[in-house]
Amino acid sequence: MAALIADRARSYLLPVLVLVATWVIIASTTDTFRGEASVFSVLEGFPLLGLVALGLAITIIAGELDLSVGSMAALAGVVAVKTSSVGLVGALVIATAMGAAIGALQGGIIARLGINSLVLTVGTLILLRGVTYLASDNRPSQLTDFTVSDPLLERYGIFSASSITALVVFGVLGLFLAYTRYGREIYAIGGARDEARAAGVPRLRPMVVTFALSGACAALAGGLASLKGGSAAPQNYADLLLAGAAAALLGGISLYGGRGTVLNVALGVAVLSAVSAGLAARGSDASVTQLVTGALLISVVAIEFTATRLGRRAKLRREAAEREALPPPVPT
Amino acid sequence: MTEVPATPAAPSAGGARAPAGRSEWLPTALVFAVLVAGVVVAVAVTPNFLTVDNIRAILRNASIVGIVAVAMTPITLSGNFISLGTQQSAMAGCVVFVALVGSGWAPVFAIAVVLAALIAVGVAQGVVVAAGLNPVITTLAAGAIIFGVVADATNGGIVRVGAHPVSWGNSTIAGVPLEVLIFALFTVAVGLFMTRSVAGRRMTLAGSNKETAEVSGISFRAVTVGAFVIFSIGLAIAGVLTGAGFGQATIQSLGTLTIDALAAILVGGTAIVGGYGSPWRSAGGAVLIAVIANVMVLNDFSTGGRLAVQGAVVVVVVILLEILRRRGEVR
Repeated sequence: MAALIADRARSYLLPVLVLVATWVIIASTTDTFRGEASVFSVLEGFPLLGLVALGLAITIIAGELDLSVGSMAALAGVVAVKTSSVGLVGALVIATAMGAAIGALQGGIIARLGINSLVLTVGTLILLRGVTYLASDNRPSQLTDFTVSDPLLERYGIFSASSITALVVFGVLGLFLAYTRYGREIYAIGGARDEARAAGVPRLRPMVVTFALSGACAALAGGLASLKGGSAAPQNYADLLLAGAAAALLGGISLYGGRGTVLNVALGVAVLSAVSAGLAARGSDASVTQLVTGALLISVVAIEFTATRLGRRAKLRREAAEREALPPPVPT
Repeated sequence: MTEVPATPAAPSAGGARAPAGRSEWLPTALVFAVLVAGVVVAVAVTPNFLTVDNIRAILRNASIVGIVAVAMTPITLSGNFISLGTQQSAMAGCVVFVALVGSGWAPVFAIAVVLAALIAVGVAQGVVVAAGLNPVITTLAAGAIIFGVVADATNGGIVRVGAHPVSWGNSTIAGVPLEVLIFALFTVAVGLFMTRSVAGRRMTLAGSNKETAEVSGISFRAVTVGAFVIFSIGLAIAGVLTGAGFGQATIQSLGTLTIDALAAILVGGTAIVGGYGSPWRSAGGAVLIAVIANVMVLNDFSTGGRLAVQGAVVVVVVILLEILRRRGEVR
């Protein structure tokens, strides 16, 4: 148990250090990134980047990857704007439910056919983008009644209504993943799939839940951001896959599956939104943000890889020592 | 406690391999059957489809995507999935080529520089991936870095050849556009390399069964780096041909290349988990997608309609092939 807690703490240590370091660097070089304003702008990264990263992280924990999140967010944005006449909450619920349904379908296909999730989601990435263009008639959709989205722009100190929504989703999904049977199954199929199957974890359910959650998170993110902005363009959010994956992995979600928590995702999102807030305050281009995101992503993956390899080497050495100590196996 | 049998870490995603024979040629036949069916439908619904000009237009559209899809196939076959940084590298090649030619370089030297630069970038990614890092994430990150660097260097503006247009940019040889000819030659070259050379067979074996390949003394690193070199050559050709043809380039050039090339590979039926597939099929996939796009343009479909149909074709083909593969396993 103590080892488990130590292991858990270690997985948060690196992202916390990175977050503190980025925060100090950005705050000391950027006048506008101080105090309440800085916390507010970092929290504002949660509704879009954060939710997408959360959904992606769940698929990574399950040992899969959902490449269609950007297209899903764009489609949900258009759907939310088009259905805004039913009210803010109604539009968001419709968009999120659609995302969950499409995601569940993807998960079902992946589990039933044993198909590689990359293959299917490359296809749906293209398909959903096309559907988004069709749904929006190839042009940006505008909100007709701007008062619908007013509650989203409300600010409460360091929070806004949209960042509160995102944080609530983080909390609920965190509890779901950590304490429910359905949530633990996702860790099981990501950590050791064959062993999980042998131990009775169903083939279909965890995969459906994983992709439904990833679809729903991406859809809610797209819906929130588009309603807040008052319009949804069909070509939106193509870069979200990069940023979302970078945030999830920066926070310490393991690319090898089965490891990481919602808190890891939150830390990664905080780092990445601090970086982009800092770069934006300095008037840098979006392309520089991409460059920095890419560089951060490759370094964090390289660090995790090196750490894992060193750990594995130590384990092999330990096992070799144990094998020598044991008597030879008796044939049954 | 029930004893859980220790499963070997073999790639279970591919499952047991079907015996050679029917399962070998069936997917290829399927791709070409779908292609022929697509052409028949196209002729039926589109009056201007079967004209020399239109066929030439289709092949021109297919060539750039086809070259890149064929070039990416060794990466996929060798078990390194796909590259999500395709557009960025080809675009960088295009921008560098146009910028060099525009500042008075002879195209030959510009091509050499582009080729060397892209191979260097490709080898770097290949080494990282061969070390065991996830290829999808690595190429996604590398693409973002390349995009950022090029955007910074060009200030997001247009680069032009200006007073030094490339004379062979839009040339045809015996009525065949240059890029179509290069697409055909490149496909034959990569196809023969993968099926007839020891290095190519090793790539396929490494993708089909990494453990066996390593036991038989095949270096996964050499195979992966080799696949990335072929990929980089294809990207350089695509970038140079695009730059020479248009005479200008921006960071938005070749904008849909990554998606189109992946769609071509998937529709061609190359399994992303490695081992199955061939450059021929990727080339067929590229032509098929170009045919679909062309028919839809001639019938006044919008961007969205084209993307939706392209995506739907990819999803349906991928699911069908997976079902066929599973059937093959059962028998």
